[in-house]
Amino acid sequence: MQQDDIQSFLERFFIATHCPILERSDGHIRVQLTTEMDKQLMNRPFYWHYVERIGAVGEPLQLSLITKRSIHEQGEYIHFGSPRLHQIFSIAKMNGRFVRLYEQVFERSVALHPWLHTNILLSYECDRKQDRLLSLGIHLISGTIVESFYDVLKEKQWGVTVPDYCFTISPLIKPMSGLARLEAFVERLIASETHEWADGARARWEEDLALLQHFYEGVEEKQEEYENEKEALRQRYEPRIHISVINGGLFYLQAK
Amino acid sequence: MNVTVHWEKSWKEEFMTRIERDGPWSNWELYELALESAKALTIPQFDGLQAPKHLPHITILPHQYDVARQVVEQMNGKAILADEVGLGKTIEAGLILKEYMIRGLVKKALILVPASLVSQWVQELNEKFFIPAVAQRKSYVWEQCDVVVSSIDTAKKQPHRDIIYEQTYDIVIIDEAHKLKNNKTKNYEFVQGLKKKFCLLLTATPIQNRVEEIFHLVSLLKPGHLGNAEQFQKRYGKLRTLHDDAHLKELIRKVMIRHRRHDTGIEWTKRHVETMFIDFSEAERNVYETIRQSKPHFSDTSLSHITLLREICSSKEALFCTLKSMMERHPDIETTIGALLQKMNEITEHTKAKKALELIQTINDKVIVFTEYRATQLYLQWFFKQHGISSVPFRGGFKRSKKDWMKELFQHRAQVLIATEAGGEGINLQFCNHVINYDLPWNPMRLEQRIGRVHRLGQTKDVHIYNFVVRNTVEEHVFALLYEKIRLFERVVGELDDILMKLQSPTFSNHLERMIAQSKSEGELKIKMQNFVEILANTEERTHAAR
Repeated sequence: MQQDDIQSFLERFFIATHCPILERSDGHIRVQLTTEMDKQLMNRPFYWHYVERIGAVGEPLQLSLITKRSIHEQGEYIHFGSPRLHQIFSIAKMNGRFVRLYEQVFERSVALHPWLHTNILLSYECDRKQDRLLSLGIHLISGTIVESFYDVLKEKQWGVTVPDYCFTISPLIKPMSGLARLEAFVERLIASETHEWADGARARWEEDLALLQHFYEGVEEKQEEYENEKEALRQRYEPRIHISVINGGLFYLQAK
Repeated sequence: MNVTVHWEKSWKEEFMTRIERDGPWSNWELYELALESAKALTIPQFDGLQAPKHLPHITILPHQYDVARQVVEQMNGKAILADEVGLGKTIEAGLILKEYMIRGLVKKALILVPASLVSQWVQELNEKFFIPAVAQRKSYVWEQCDVVVSSIDTAKKQPHRDIIYEQTYDIVIIDEAHKLKNNKTKNYEFVQGLKKKFCLLLTATPIQNRVEEIFHLVSLLKPGHLGNAEQFQKRYGKLRTLHDDAHLKELIRKVMIRHRRHDTGIEWTKRHVETMFIDFSEAERNVYETIRQSKPHFSDTSLSHITLLREICSSKEALFCTLKSMMERHPDIETTIGALLQKMNEITEHTKAKKALELIQTINDKVIVFTEYRATQLYLQWFFKQHGISSVPFRGGFKRSKKDWMKELFQHRAQVLIATEAGGEGINLQFCNHVINYDLPWNPMRLEQRIGRVHRLGQTKDVHIYNFVVRNTVEEHVFALLYEKIRLFERVVGELDDILMKLQSPTFSNHLERMIAQSKSEGELKIKMQNFVEILANTEERTHAAR
């Protein structure tokens, strides 16, 4: 995300979370937070606790955000490293984890097919780290798995209800077993690849371990220290892949 | 396959529940925003640094960027950061910490710094790096906060020690790490017992006196990298050949990064060094000569004799403190001391102090005065006050809050800060550009630490250093050796490190003291010093040849 993308991201975020944008210009926005967003963003639990205790209606704050340094407005300057932006990232991640969506088609009597889609984050970790994103879709009728499925989805229009005069086909494969198939797919994918990064980490690990053993050789009284160091080496170097689902859900789309 | 795979299950479980309960479901826009947020946070590659794009407001200098990158990519997160004083080691450490936190490889961090620097570190990490670091003030902080800054002295004490030992740290960062050069100390032992994945040791002077010091530092960082203690001693402990040195150097290069000022390519403000020779008043000279001639009376060690000579060059107050405790220990020399005390009474004013006062008045700006003696510190404070000059004291022993307060006072209220040696480290005073070395330290490394307080990144003006030397005294001899023959001020500190390391001299200042103590005449001393300078010069040549 570049500095120029931040403002449009923020605007979309506040629109999606129903916070009215009171002022906007290139490089600056002022937003009226909703009660819900105030609680999530402004870190004032005592205020909300107090308001609720006395049964009053709380007053959510406004937020003035600046995305260009040249702007002379009162407000927080938001750049890629700002804690505020990262706070918004994590709220956005929490709020968009689960969906069930229907393609908005305008013809009549269209059958919408069930798909399960997940965005999956793979983190390759040792003493170093690299991430990789997978976007996988599985057709819950045929079991066909499609990679980069998000590219297909983002070309379409989506709604939370079935469009008029259309109907959905029930999945033959249950969402849970669809998910299990996607997991198996990911594991096969990982197994089929070479992992030089992991070999490298293991080599570094062994090298350091040999030095460590040598250092403590014959020093009986330092056994505990040795064990600590050894464990620290494992934590540092042991290669592992951590997999998590960013978000996902059921998508009903027109068969093409 | 060589890798363990771990699936995070929480999404799956929650998804099941939502299917059973038929919701709640988000809409497409929120779904997209969530994915975009996740994308913004992914780490695209093992190599390179992510931190700089999170820190657009910090000017990261090329050598700082290189250090961070090298530590992450080549040193596997364990390194001694040994740039010269004032090149921004804190920025480098912050950058590395930030990088690991962004990558999710570090969550829990322990940062051990001198007490006087705790709040400065906390502030910099929070404001510059957006790292929510907390100063340790309550014992529950160790467990509940992820990034804690503390002094070693606090951390090693109970009940903290036990709690800290129960934690597993992803990274431990230690500032002013040269204090851990001795493996017999409590501090060393404490740090050795920490559970740590990554580790950074920060020091501008990785070797102060002996080559073993680097062995102990490296063993803290990466045990075994330089072999075990016995082997190291055998191989490098005695005289070494050039080949051995090259090998050792290569090994050290794998765990230590050191930049010198001149290889940073930064335009530094200039250093102007001015030596001010001072002539004793008659009364002062009288006392000095009396001590010099009464050497046999102070026979417990010749070193204490030299101490007395050095002290009278600073102030009679400094001398008096030592004499008093001597008298308690050796009642037999009471008459000698008594006579001396009488002569001291005739000193009404210190020539050196007067000179300092005049200088400070002419400078008419903030000045730091360094002295080796606490008694002198107190005296100067009183003396300056008599002449309407406000000053604040600074000592290593001050509590953290007091140090911060003194720095604050100096910055905003007082004209002069008078620091003793222990106060020389761990405080940054870029807003001041005049330093008076009221008396000179005998360890050249400490001099660099002193100057480094003001001549560092962020200093915008030329730095003026004034060295006070009393003519025809031990001070002048030492000055002649250290600062004229070795041309210490023109040198880059790092070079001296190399030379001292080759020399294996027990300790630099001990060597000096012994030379002075054992010389029977001025002539003999001059010859000895000349020899010493030649040895240094030879070693230096070989060092250059070896490069």
